[in-house]
Amino acid sequence: MFKADLRAIRFTLYEHLKVQQLFELDAFSHLAREECDAVIDQCVRFAAEVTGPLSAPGDRAGCRVEDGRVVTPPGFREAWRTLFELGFLSFTMPVKAGGFGGPRAIGVVLSELQSGANTAFNMYPGLTHGAADLLEAFGSPRDHERFLAPMLEGRFAGTMCLTEPHAGSDVGATRTRARHLEGDVYAITGTKCFISSGDHDLTENIVHLVLARIDGAPPGTKGLSLFIVPKVWVEEGGALGGANDVATASIEHKLGIRASATATLTFGDDGRCRGILVGGRPHEGMRQMFRMMNGARIAVGVQGIAVASTAYLNALAYARERLQGSSVRHFKDPNAPRVPIIEHADVRRMLLEMKAKVEGMRTLAVKLALHADLAAALAATDEGRAAYHEGQVDLLTPVVKAYCADQAFRVAELAIQTYGGAGYVEDHPVEQYLRDAKIFSIYEGTNHIQALDLVSRKLSSRGGENLTAFLTEIGEFVARHGARPGLAAEIGALGAAAAALQRASGALLEFFTSGRLDQVTLVATPFLEIMAEVTIAHLLLDAALVAEARRVEAEGDHHQEDADFYRGKVMAAKFYVNFVLPGVHAKLAAIVGGDRSALDIPDAGFSTAR
Amino acid sequence: MKILVAIKQVPDTATQVKVGGDGKSIDTAGITWIVSPYDEYAVEEALRIKEKRGQGEVVAISLGPDRVREALRSCLAMGCDRAIHLNDAAWSAVDTLATARALAAVVTQEAPQLVLCGRQAIDDDMGAVTAQLAELLGWPCAYWIMEEAVDADGKTVRAARQVEGGLEVFDLPLPAVLAAQKGLNEPRYPTLKGIMGAKKKEIKDVKAADLGLGAEPAQLAVLGLEALPPRPPGRIIEGDVPSAVKELVRALREDAKAI
Ligand SMILES: Cc1cc2nc3c(=O)[nH]c(=O)nc-3n(C[C@H](O)[C@H](O)[C@H](O)COP(=O)(O)OP(=O)(O)OC[C@H]3O[C@@H](n4cnc5c(N)ncnc54)[C@H](O)[C@@H]3O)c2cc1C
Repeated sequence: MFKADLRAIRFTLYEHLKVQQLFELDAFSHLAREECDAVIDQCVRFAAEVTGPLSAPGDRAGCRVEDGRVVTPPGFREAWRTLFELGFLSFTMPVKAGGFGGPRAIGVVLSELQSGANTAFNMYPGLTHGAADLLEAFGSPRDHERFLAPMLEGRFAGTMCLTEPHAGSDVGATRTRARHLEGDVYAITGTKCFISSGDHDLTENIVHLVLARIDGAPPGTKGLSLFIVPKVWVEEGGALGGANDVATASIEHKLGIRASATATLTFGDDGRCRGILVGGRPHEGMRQMFRMMNGARIAVGVQGIAVASTAYLNALAYARERLQGSSVRHFKDPNAPRVPIIEHADVRRMLLEMKAKVEGMRTLAVKLALHADLAAALAATDEGRAAYHEGQVDLLTPVVKAYCADQAFRVAELAIQTYGGAGYVEDHPVEQYLRDAKIFSIYEGTNHIQALDLVSRKLSSRGGENLTAFLTEIGEFVARHGARPGLAAEIGALGAAAAALQRASGALLEFFTSGRLDQVTLVATPFLEIMAEVTIAHLLLDAALVAEARRVEAEGDHHQEDADFYRGKVMAAKFYVNFVLPGVHAKLAAIVGGDRSALDIPDAGFSTAR
Repeated sequence: MKILVAIKQVPDTATQVKVGGDGKSIDTAGITWIVSPYDEYAVEEALRIKEKRGQGEVVAISLGPDRVREALRSCLAMGCDRAIHLNDAAWSAVDTLATARALAAVVTQEAPQLVLCGRQAIDDDMGAVTAQLAELLGWPCAYWIMEEAVDADGKTVRAARQVEGGLEVFDLPLPAVLAAQKGLNEPRYPTLKGIMGAKKKEIKDVKAADLGLGAEPAQLAVLGLEALPPRPPGRIIEGDVPSAVKELVRALREDAKAI
């Protein structure tokens, strides 16, 4: 069953990261915390009452193709309708586009709640939101009228179509073609595969955003353009026309998110498929699509947090109830009373690891979103600070995507381990969480593609200033709080880990300058992990300082439950620093050690078996 | 048609309620507050009456401390037009009769044609205020309403009330007081538009003096609250099915004296 910890979420939003600071800025002054809380409350209710109960049945039913059309599991259509009546998808949309202009920092929490309740269902509105956001940014007023407005009403859905059988990680290999017809209209031909929400029965129309190459355009990503390819043609003025020659060839049968249709689509089989060039600008496709991809990368990280959170909370509930074994204190007494497994040290270790990771990742995602909100809000008044915040968004996007994706799977695995055999069977939700979580490290650019993005682009962008600003923030934190009683050792360990990160980036630079690019790509993934673990440790410790002060207050007021909540925050930070963070030194050793075995082993050396 | 809905803010059903330090009230630390579910049916029904008639006004009203604004705000988010908050230290220890008196004073001022309430608040389950309010106003009243229909002229309301095995149907001349039962409707979720629009709607703060009421000694005093004793553990009967059934029947007959 879907579970959410609103107390922990509110702590991160308001007590720790103080997102209420946004309401003081012009860009968000039309909102107040009270409303944001009401929106979050309704979102929890929607998630728990409407989409949550459809998650396990949706997983079992899956999607099927009937007469060339994808049929979604029972209940999805009604849930879709309710979702759009409520309007969560418009929360972060600008007011001028008909949205509510809400902060992304709150938007992250809304999407966490929705993805946690039903990861597969939320793919449909999630992609619609991403596509709508792209059209809002780059579409012409006519595109807005014809496509964006019906998407925000839930009458049309959206997709992103990059992948082709020969173009997965290598988007530049795209073969789908566009031939100019008239104005902004082009004839589209090609095949896209693995398209999430590629077809379904939730809406009267689907707006595919398709990357294609205009005839005569240069090869590689530079020659790609982005097209609006509706499933059903939309006339000027908005009336639906005829079918637009987009066919669903098949859907995948897969490990997880089974209720989310993953389709192979063919465009222009009969030569009648038309696409509209987004914003009327050729060869801008990659830049335009990157807006959706960056949004989607953060959204995938948030999917990870979502699944990890509900997996953790379910494991915690089970650990409190399941009686097994007796306390280690009575190990000699066979008649000692049975205890709930939460009393066993190893179970507590797993629970605290899950808690620390879930809460650390959530903090990272909200902080990233807060950077994005501040960048947008300050753009007009304070260019320097806006650039700083924008730089942090760039730097942290691959970290959020890759780390949260990987850790979602690890946390789901720990959740199953906490349950024991019960976790492996369908009676409990955690086995589905594990299956659903695996995709996060693959789509939206595999995690390795994220690591390459980090080491080859993000570290050096703006002359390396983003990383410098990031390390400076941690350095100042360590200097300021390094003597805090109770947390001094952990804050010192963070300083050492940040130094390790700096040395690792120095090693990368050396590989780059000495032309050892293969060495860079070999260690990009462990480098990203170091960066992520330093980031999370910093945020958890920062939260712990806030929590420690609150704990003292709560104890003074005899609010035991509150005091325990805050104590839990401090313990989570300490645990992460002492049990997880030391790994950065092992990874650093591997990076600077320069071992080339994985590069030099002959292909046949892996095995001579055929 | 003007409709007044009286609502109460109560601890969320999922909250683990603890007895407070004084032994007479609950410890409110860490409680999540909600609009009492039966009252939500009342709000929903009022909104539906207004929507069906195409015109009218729905006013939410509640008595309680500052935190109650949040509950009124969520009624506004559902679609109520405005709200009245009876918020005064004089009402800090009210009993049901004093609550009904305060509500009656507002009803007299506002002069709605219909007052809707929940059949009871889920905190102390007293279920007395609605009847007391109707009595003070001298208006007809029906409880446990499963269906209602206001006639076209707004002169009477036909209300069906839940009774053992069926419905009992009444015609009440308006103005009247109705108390909603679960099943009357399915309350809507507030939409984002509703939530964002709620802050532009008025919540009027009303003091006892505004209604010409003073502090009144409570006629009902809580002497003490006690937590329920923990439920004894269940029993699992072991063995093959025929002998387990035999043992179950014996236990139900002899130990539990249930059959
Ligand atoms: C359920 C699901 C939903 C999806 N939804 C969408 C969607 O909505 N829209 C869409 O466009 N696509 C979608 N995809 C496709 C997804 O984005 C691709 O699967 C992903 O980009 C990887 O491409 P690939 O599968 O071709 O793997 P490949 O690119 O063949 O990669 C295989 C392995 O090689 C590694 N690799 C590849 N290139 C390099 C390199 N240059 N250097 C080092 N390592 C490399 C990869 O990291 C990976 O480990 C979806 C996929 C799935 C499974």
